[in-house]
Parts: sequence; structure tokens; C-alpha cells
Amino acid sequence: MAPPQRPTGIARLFEPPEIGRSAIGTRIVVYTLLILWSVFVLFPIYWVVITSFKTPNAVNQGPFYIPWVDFTPSLHAWEELFVFDYEDTLKAYLNSIIIASCATVLCVAVGSMAAYALARIQYRPKLGVILLFVVCIALAFVAMAVAGVDWWLALAVGVALFFFLARALGRHFRRTLGNGDILFWIISQRILAPIVVIVPIYLMFQQVNLLDTHIALIIAYSVTNLPIVVWLMYDFFSSIPLDLEESAQLDGASRIRTFWEIVLPLSRPGLAATTLLVMILSWNEYLLALFLSTSNAQTMPILVAAMNAGERGILWWSMSVVIIVMIIPVVLLALVLQRFISKGVLLGAVKG
Amino acid sequence: MSAVAESTGHAGRGVERPGAGTAKRLSMRNLNKSFGQVHVVKDLSLDVAPGEFLVLLGPSGCGKTTALRMIAGLEQADSGTIHLGDTDVTRMLPKYRDVAMVFQSYALYPHKTVAENIGFPLKVRGVDKAERARAVREAAAQVHMDGLLDRYPRQLSGGQRQRVALARAIVRRPSAFLMDEPLSNLDAKLRGFMRAELKHMQHELGVTTVYVTHDQIEAMTLAHRVAIMNHGVLQQLGRPREVYDNPVNMFVAGFLGSPPMNFASGRLSGGVFEAPGVRLGVRSQGSGPAVLGFRPEDAEIVASGAGTFNARVYAAELTGDVTLVTVVLGDDNLAVKMPKEFEADFDSDVGVRLNLARCFLFDANSGARIDGTIEGAASA
Ligand SMILES: Nc1ncnc2c1ncn2[C@@H]1O[C@H](COP(=O)(O)OP(=O)(O)O)[C@@H](O)[C@H]1O
Ligand SMILES: [Mg+2]
Repeated sequence: MAPPQRPTGIARLFEPPEIGRSAIGTRIVVYTLLILWSVFVLFPIYWVVITSFKTPNAVNQGPFYIPWVDFTPSLHAWEELFVFDYEDTLKAYLNSIIIASCATVLCVAVGSMAAYALARIQYRPKLGVILLFVVCIALAFVAMAVAGVDWWLALAVGVALFFFLARALGRHFRRTLGNGDILFWIISQRILAPIVVIVPIYLMFQQVNLLDTHIALIIAYSVTNLPIVVWLMYDFFSSIPLDLEESAQLDGASRIRTFWEIVLPLSRPGLAATTLLVMILSWNEYLLALFLSTSNAQTMPILVAAMNAGERGILWWSMSVVIIVMIIPVVLLALVLQRFISKGVLLGAVKG
Repeated sequence: MSAVAESTGHAGRGVERPGAGTAKRLSMRNLNKSFGQVHVVKDLSLDVAPGEFLVLLGPSGCGKTTALRMIAGLEQADSGTIHLGDTDVTRMLPKYRDVAMVFQSYALYPHKTVAENIGFPLKVRGVDKAERARAVREAAAQVHMDGLLDRYPRQLSGGQRQRVALARAIVRRPSAFLMDEPLSNLDAKLRGFMRAELKHMQHELGVTTVYVTHDQIEAMTLAHRVAIMNHGVLQQLGRPREVYDNPVNMFVAGFLGSPPMNFASGRLSGGVFEAPGVRLGVRSQGSGPAVLGFRPEDAEIVASGAGTFNARVYAAELTGDVTLVTVVLGDDNLAVKMPKEFEADFDSDVGVRLNLARCFLFDANSGARIDGTIEGAASA
């Protein structure tokens, strides 16, 4: 049979001229898309940077595009924020750093341990026992709401009731679930939009007197990001050959040591990527912060948003300054972590 | 019988070496293991003498790896016991068993250098740095890897990775070695070379070894004794020559040898084995469907009519040292090893002369050996 015909007409532009070279047409399309994408991504950053060096006049009479050419840069906005509003900015900045990093550490630590367990241990929870737990907790809430029982008493009784019933009835339940079900349940926590649960969450923290504290936001961020960590790290741990861990066990290492010395170093790329992602999500989070903090635990996104709520209209210049200082730590973190986000760590582990 | 005596002497050397003082006996009693509904290892009982090289041989999926993993403690036996020396290790955690395993995949730690890989078992035991470095160098030298201690596994060839895995196993002088098809990822030439290395090393160290493979040549060449498994059941245990010369059933007979034993199916009745074109007198009371088995080297091609039976030549292949002639008898293809000068035309009629003293009869249904001497051609 003859080889396929060479294409004619416009299709010829997309035919690679030889092995290892891409076609002219392909290159044009690829670079056009890349340039458009870059402009789309980079222009806002450029705009924020120059706006932070504009005076209110330069902003209002604008638009001006190029410093020194169509406007004179000034440090007015930077001064305003760092000299006059110094305390507010610094506080929000510190809050953001504390909350985001604590939440990230907590979330990645707990999440990756959960993911590791799910990747390596077969769980067979009984459906009946799970339903029992839900019913007991629901009863506790009813007791709280209707009978006005203290929340800690209601929860303690609910949990105790659950353990009692589970022991008594547990062996009569037959249907079991597997790791896949657990994993799906965890990721399903992210399916709900946060706005749906924001009021219950608010009430919960109100009940335990944690509103406007760092703890509240750290807990909230850890919990909301946990599914992402579990999901990503589960994939990563699953890709580490089991042989390595078994070999370490036979070499005499304990389970903890195996995790610490074999599994963790090998999952560094995954951990780095996940950490970065969780950090960014926590750093930029707005909705929960808006509800759960008022002044004491206010974070940077709230500060940025506050810039357009003043009686002086939207303070674009100040907002830009805040945005820039807000971006910097994340960029630094990304630069540090990207060294670890490389492929090929598992190379050479198994086979030739 | 001289063959058996000779192989006894060989196994004896392996067992009674002076260096084998620390080697321990490994005993398995009635081991069972199921995965869900699948009964993978059935009532396995094996005794491995101190310093012995035992090869667990069987086709893929017959439960060899599972048996090995139970010895290692990576899999828990459903029932039965495992003893290493005087210790019952059946339920002991892997790390306390003092066995070293070489995985089929080598399982090298990719983020550690060769030296760190080899030294890992010592590091977790808290051996101090200087002592560790010395032991690592020694173990590496034993597998000829001393020049590459600073490399990472990804910078090594398959054969070198294999050596690192071996070094990591020998560095701590375990009571027993477990090896799961350690050579199966190497190319044929390297495999032959590593086989000799392994055999020599095991002899030097005198460590009790259980070696799993599906390759009968590896089993024959390496083992003091071979244990042949099929469908989770131990079929036969013995010295390589013994199981080769005296298989207890068709499975063992057909699994060993390359090419393996020939089978010609027929019937046994009234002291006569009958197959298309074959009639042999047998001193046996049995009757029913039976199979005649003989090894390719225990037959020769002769002129038509001059042999035990006549057959048609299907193909003749020169393999180097021998010519392998395949003939057709009824529905069966039979292989015969002839000197390399031998030539035969396709489809020509030839005679096949059997060395009747080295032929076997098997029950066609159960596969078991039928006792009884084959006496020679019987007249109709
Ligand atoms: N963890 C497991 N879960 C379920 N089945 C398994 C597991 N390990 C092995 N098996 C099954 O047990 C049988 C024997 O496996 P294995 O011991 O690996 O055989 P071999 O090493 O002889 O090739 C196979 O059919 C395999 O599918
Ligand atoms: Mg196997």
C-alpha cells in the first residue's frame, strides 16, 4: 500500500517538514496563544505596579501607561500606607502570614498523613456504624438547640452514645465501604461552595467564642483545604512503589522511620506543589475571612477590599501597594519551592 | 545411581561448610494463604537446611512470591508456622526476623546513593559511621561495585542496580536470604553471568537462601534442592538431578528441561501401552488413558522401521551444540536432540529409538507417575 498523501492547501502549513521540527502553522498558532496568554497574565501585574507609583491625580486623569513618559512616578501611595497607616497594614500583613502559614503547615501535615494512610491501609468501615455516628451527632445538635444543653455536654453524650451503640450493634452491620468511598467523601467536601456553609460555620465559631481570632481562621482554612491536600497527596503516595517501603521494613526500619526517611523525601515534589497551592489558597482567601474576622484577625485580602469602601472612593493607588506587598511572599515561596517541584525523583527505584 | 550419589555430595558441601556456622534452619509447616476466595498457597511444608540454597520453582502465578513474602513477614499466613532457627517467626514483624530480601524490582531507594542504599540496614540498627562505611565497602567489593559508591540508582545500569540490591542484602549478614526472581529483569547474557556470581556468593557466605524463579535453568544451576510448585501446591522437592531424572508427575516432568519432556498420549491396558504407531510392553497392572514421557536427549532418530516407533519430521533446528528435531506422532509433537551434524528433510519418515530405561508412564487424568518398567516393543 502507498503511504498517505501529503496534505494540500492550508493543511500543508500544519505538516511538520521533517521529524523533530514543528510546522510553520503550528508554531504561529502556539506562539500567538502564548503571547496572548502572557499579556493577559502580565498586564494586570504591570498595571498594579505602575499604579502604586501614581498620585491620585495621575490615576484620576489617566489612563497613563508608561512611567516618566506620560506620568511622573511618586512614592505617595507607599508613604501613605507604610508611614501613616503603618500599623494597620503591618497587622494585617502579620495576620495573613501567621494564619496562612499555620493553616498550611497544619493542613499539609494532617492531610498528607491521611492520604498516606488511605494509600497504604485498606479500611473497611461499616456503613451502619457511620450512619449511627451521624444520628448520634445529630441528636446532640438537637439537644443543644431544643433543650439548650451546653454544646460540650451534648457532644460528649452524643459521642459516648455512639461508642456504646457501635459496640453493642456493630457486628450486626454487614455493608462495608472502602478507601475509594472515603476518598470520595473527603473530596466531596469541596463540592459545596463555601458561601453555602458560611453561616453555620460563623455560628459554630460564635458558640465556641473564637470569632475574630487567628485560631478560627487557621482551623477554617485547614479544614477547607484538607480535601485538596488529601486528594493530591493520595495520588502521589500511591505512585511510590510499595516495594520500597517493604524493603525498608525488611531492612529493619520502623513504620515511622520508613515514612520519614523513604516516603517523605520521595514525595517532596508533591509536598512542595501541594504546600504552595494551599498557601496561595489560604493567603488569598476572602469569604471566610470576611465573616470570621472583624479587626483583630483581619487579613490582607480584607484590607485590599477595604480600599474601595472608604468615603474617599476607591483608593486605586493604595490598593495597588497592598496588592504588591501581598504578592511578594507568595512569589518568594514559589521560587523556593519550585526547586523541589521536579519530576524524576522515583527514577532508578525499580527495574532497569 | 552414581548420579544421585554425586549430587548428594554436592548438597553436602553446601550444607556442611565451615562458614555456615551462623546460618539457620528455616522450616515451614502447613502454610496456607488465601486472597479472598483464591487459595494461593496450599499446605506448604518445607525445610531449608542451614546454609542451603533452596529454589522455589513454578510457573507464574503459582504462589511462589506469596510464599516468600510470608517468610519475610510481608504477608501473614492464614495458618501454619514458620521457624527460623529455634524462633517461631510466624507472627513476628518483618524487621525483627533477620531476613534480607532482594526484590524482583530491586527496590533501591532512589534518593540515596549506592553507599547509602547499602548502608541503610546498618544505619537503622544504629551502627556507627566508621563501622558502617567499612561494612559498606566490603559488601560493595563483594559485588564488584566499590567504584560506584557515590552514584545514584538512576545512574546505574540494570545489572549494577541488581548488584546494589544484593549488597544491601548481604551487608548485615542475615540469618536467611530471600530472593524473588532477582535476575528476571536482566538480559540473557548478564543473567548467565550473575547466576554464577550469585551461586559463588551464596557459597562464600553460607547463608540459608530461598530463591524464587520461574526459570528452570536458574533452578537447575543454582539450587542445592529445588521445590517445584504448581497452583500453590508443592509438587516435588529434591536435588536438581533427582527431580530431573525422577519426576513424580507430568507437571514436574514437563516443567524441567529445555525443551521439556516429550509426552505421547495413548492407553495402558493388560500390560501394554498403546499409542498411534506405538506398542510397548509394560510391567504394570494399571489400565486407562496414559501418557508416555521421554526427554529429548533420551531418544534418537534412526532409519524408518529401525526405531521404537515411526514418525514424520516436522522441523529440524540447529541450536548450536545440538540439532533439535521435532517429529509428529499422532497429535503430539515430540522433540529429539541429535548431534549438530544431523540433518533431516521436512516430512520425511523416520524411526525414533527410545532409551526405554529412561522413559516414564503417567496417568493421563491425574498426571501421576505410573510405576512399572517399560520392557520393549510388544508384538500385536
Ligand atoms: N495482594 C494480593 N491480592 C490478591 N491476590 C493476590 C495478591 N498477591 C498475589 N495474588 C494472587 O495470588 C496468586 C499467586 O501470586 P504470586 O505469589 O505473586 O505468584 P508467583 O510469584 O508464583 O507468580 C496470583 O493469582 C495472584 O493474582
Ligand atoms: Mg512472583
